[in-house]
Amino acid sequence: MNESSNNLIILDNVSRFYGEVLGINRVTLSLKPGITSLVGPNGAGKTTLMNLITGLIRPSRGRISVLGVSPSEPQKLFRLVGYATQFDSFPKGLSGYQFIYSFLKLSGYKPSKCKEMTLSVIEQVGLSDVAQRKVAAYSKGMRQRIRLAQAIAHDPRVIVLDEPLNGLDPLVRAETIALFRRYADEGRHVIISSHVMHEVDMISDEVVFISGGYVIAEGQIQNVRNEIKQERPLQMLVRCKKPAALASRAFEQDNVVEARILTEGDAVLIKTRDVDQFCKSLNYLAMEGIDIESMAPIDDDANSVYEYLIGDEEASK
Amino acid sequence: MNGIWLLQILAVVRLEIKKTFLSRRSLWVYLLAFAPVIIFFVRSINEPRQRDRLAEIAAKHPVSTQALNSIKEETTYEQVVEKLGEPYLKNFRTGRRGPGPEHEFGFVRYTDGETDVVLHFFDKKVVRISKSQVDNLPRSQTVFATSFQFYFLRLAVFFGCVGVFVNLFRGEMLDKSLHFYLLTPMRREVLLAGKYLAGLLATVFIFTSSTALQWWAMLRQFDQSVLADFFAGDGGSQFWTYLGVTSLACIAYGSIFLTVGLIFRNPIIPAAVVLLWEGINPFLPAALKKISVIYYLQSICPVVASKESNLPALVKFLISPTQLVTPLFAVICIIIVTLIMLVLAGYFARRMEINYSID
Repeated sequence: MNESSNNLIILDNVSRFYGEVLGINRVTLSLKPGITSLVGPNGAGKTTLMNLITGLIRPSRGRISVLGVSPSEPQKLFRLVGYATQFDSFPKGLSGYQFIYSFLKLSGYKPSKCKEMTLSVIEQVGLSDVAQRKVAAYSKGMRQRIRLAQAIAHDPRVIVLDEPLNGLDPLVRAETIALFRRYADEGRHVIISSHVMHEVDMISDEVVFISGGYVIAEGQIQNVRNEIKQERPLQMLVRCKKPAALASRAFEQDNVVEARILTEGDAVLIKTRDVDQFCKSLNYLAMEGIDIESMAPIDDDANSVYEYLIGDEEASK
Repeated sequence: MNGIWLLQILAVVRLEIKKTFLSRRSLWVYLLAFAPVIIFFVRSINEPRQRDRLAEIAAKHPVSTQALNSIKEETTYEQVVEKLGEPYLKNFRTGRRGPGPEHEFGFVRYTDGETDVVLHFFDKKVVRISKSQVDNLPRSQTVFATSFQFYFLRLAVFFGCVGVFVNLFRGEMLDKSLHFYLLTPMRREVLLAGKYLAGLLATVFIFTSSTALQWWAMLRQFDQSVLADFFAGDGGSQFWTYLGVTSLACIAYGSIFLTVGLIFRNPIIPAAVVLLWEGINPFLPAALKKISVIYYLQSICPVVASKESNLPALVKFLISPTQLVTPLFAVICIIIVTLIMLVLAGYFARRMEINYSID
């Protein structure tokens, strides 16, 4: 294993079947540090992928390496990895404090260190006031936060979080996203699964789109969007004083496949297969006297890409 | 052993032992374990009363033991009265048993102060003799040995270990909380060792406490002088041997049911198979007898279980002669079985996956 692969999470042709049911199939990924979002509909295989990375299940085929460590070696893996699962059940009778403390004790830390780390992480997730309350009495959002605390308590280099923003109120959600960003900026891996597309868009460095057990696209959102521009031309909304003139001139461009004047406001909706070329041509149009007020892509976000990639597949099922 | 493993094992034991001792699931384990204590305690109250009562009767209706033993079936009522005198209790009546003439039937009771003898008559002839002895120390030891081998080991410790050890993994699978352990940087074998130790501590504590209390309840009816003689002899070594056999039973059955809980989704069926195998052990050929835990446990027991004639036929059949092995060999065999089971459990623990939807 070379030095670069020791900083990557590698899945090499990994498949997992549950009897005859497909979990994921032939997944090959190489995840770099930063925030990576796993996006896909229910049953797509996101949790299966996370469970495979963390060794809770074993691949039927293929090989997985997390920073050079095999998930079949939990004693090494979980020194590097923290995983907040979606399983909403806890050991009976433990308070939030005891839950984290026990986790750290099981990890082999000395009692004084456990206490210090527990208090610190509980404060970090904002549960200090309720730390002595039984986890069973926590609200859904609190349980989500205590799971997050467990995942980060031992300061891991890889943090895997299954739907970590579910059940959080907006303020805590923002704080949690900021925490993920900070971890990513420190060079750690933060792997999250989410259904909330605008958040995926906002926080992800890379996105992995999964559907039906297959990875159908991966990379930065913009790159993924560019890859599907032939089938799905990028849509740009251009606001200007002379929409008719703009639409007419834009339509002369080879890269423009549609130019539609919107009835509300002075705006033209352009569909282009080459956004760079279109932007250049827009400069010329501006010099010719068409007063461009603003221009913005409207479907290069995660939600649009998700719908283009997965929405169609789902629809075709 | 690696220092961190020790810390981790202790952490697992600490978490598990609380659950094992205090969970609702453990209630029936306590019930199984301590039921014989209640029985021996009641017996220890009842037996001295019975002894006093028979002694009092014997004083009023003196009969020699030799004369009592001379009565056989087919002896007539007149012959009995001639040999033993008037009984202290007599009950005859006439009636029909099905179609046909009337018959006289009933019973008389005699005692020499040690044995209460009931002679059953049919048409003035003895047809059945039943005897019940008052309790003495050797008899109490035999009763304890029988209860220990045929109830305590085979049922109480057996099912107690099913309840405790199967749930160490399977129970947490059903509660969907096992992942808590599997997300820690701990070898699966270390987790297994911690859970096994926790189960072992709990069961050994519960069942050896029960054994000690049964022993106390059994002996509390006897005079200090009798007890002093007993403990001056082999009483002490018998006591410690029973505690040792109880612990070995927990060690062996614990390892078996820990493994069963890891392998099977529904451990009740394999537990029933093991129970059946252990139960039919006395009926098996000599070679097959040796493939069971109870065979080796029985080999270590200090007192042979009862073969008294007034025991039910089935029990007598169960305790038919067995070529036992030496205690040392039996201990070695139990430890080997345990180690094999734990290695097997380690293999399955390494391969264990979290898949709650299936479980």
